[in-house]
Amino acid sequence: MSDSLEQIFVKQLKENQNIIHKICRLYTNGEDAHKDLFQEVTIQLWKAFPKFRGESKFSTWAYRVALNTAITLYRKSTRSISTVEFESRKHFISQEDYNHEEEEQIKLMYEAVQQLNDIEKALVFMYLEDKDYTEIAETLGITEVNARVKINRIKGKLKKILNP
Amino acid sequence: MEELDLLKKAWQKDTHSFEQVSEMEIYKMLHKKSSSIVKWILIISVLEVLLWTAISVLFNTDDYLKKFHSEDLIVYFRVLNYFNYAVIVGFIYLFYKNYVKISTTDSTKNLMKDILRTRKTVQYYVWYNLGMITVSMLFGFAMAFFYNPDMSVLKDRIAHESGHKTLFITCGVLLLTTVVFVGLFWLFYKLLYGILLRKLNNNYKELKKIDL
Repeated sequence: MSDSLEQIFVKQLKENQNIIHKICRLYTNGEDAHKDLFQEVTIQLWKAFPKFRGESKFSTWAYRVALNTAITLYRKSTRSISTVEFESRKHFISQEDYNHEEEEQIKLMYEAVQQLNDIEKALVFMYLEDKDYTEIAETLGITEVNARVKINRIKGKLKKILNP
Repeated sequence: MEELDLLKKAWQKDTHSFEQVSEMEIYKMLHKKSSSIVKWILIISVLEVLLWTAISVLFNTDDYLKKFHSEDLIVYFRVLNYFNYAVIVGFIYLFYKNYVKISTTDSTKNLMKDILRTRKTVQYYVWYNLGMITVSMLFGFAMAFFYNPDMSVLKDRIAHESGHKTLFITCGVLLLTTVVFVGLFWLFYKLLYGILLRKLNNNYKELKKIDL
């Protein structure tokens, strides 16, 4: 019985792993930290899985747990920026069909996002994932109005980082 | 903001830049140990409860009282001991209740609140024990002062002095000892939980600021 639950979980996680990778890349620097956080998220997801009723999509449920793990449960500091991480970011940008200027803009923007604090990153993550304000507010436990205000402020902050 | 929407497009298309984790690797991860702060809080809390419970049980006043022939006081201490056990049981129940409430599927703010509450329960327990020990220490000194024959020199001096210099010095030393003792523990806990929960506290403050 528990074996089959494990199988279902592993399959679902494998299919939906990209959203977790995105969070790991946002909150860590370098490959080792990324893997470490991914593992912790996996453990937390597995712990919570028996209570997952399938009312929401697996990916929706999973990104919430992953964000909570990254912001709250994960112990390692994610502050310093290393050169290893710079390489992996380049990789993230250059695989798409953008012209050179756009590519550069995307890269700079992602670097600016990396400079935000943990909560701001969560808000940007959900914005990039195209989540509505109701869901964003509910996930973080803030009001919808304030989620909207905060995202606008973050946009201002990002603008400042890009054009100091 | 144009650049952010440009990133949004790239972000949503970005599905193949990650090294994919295989099913086998996920299976392996499931059996690894978690290193989350909740786990650390649990480990530290259990150690603290064991330590303080051991201290309060081993801190047996009976012998001390017998030494000064004040067995009549023993019954009061018995009552105090039972009270102490009740507090321990009550505390363990509270801690357990708070601990099982912690859920990663909750909103970030609630999750943080629950973790901090669980930690606070332990802190209150430690303060309770520290308080008890301080009171016992002061009481012990008072007992010694009144019943211990070695203290008669001090008693005589206080009684025969016109000013209250000796009395003040004695009280001062006692007070200072208590403050240093409690202060050291306060510092230890500040450091221990300060390091463990620095990130969580900062993020919690940041989150609360949004709703101000």
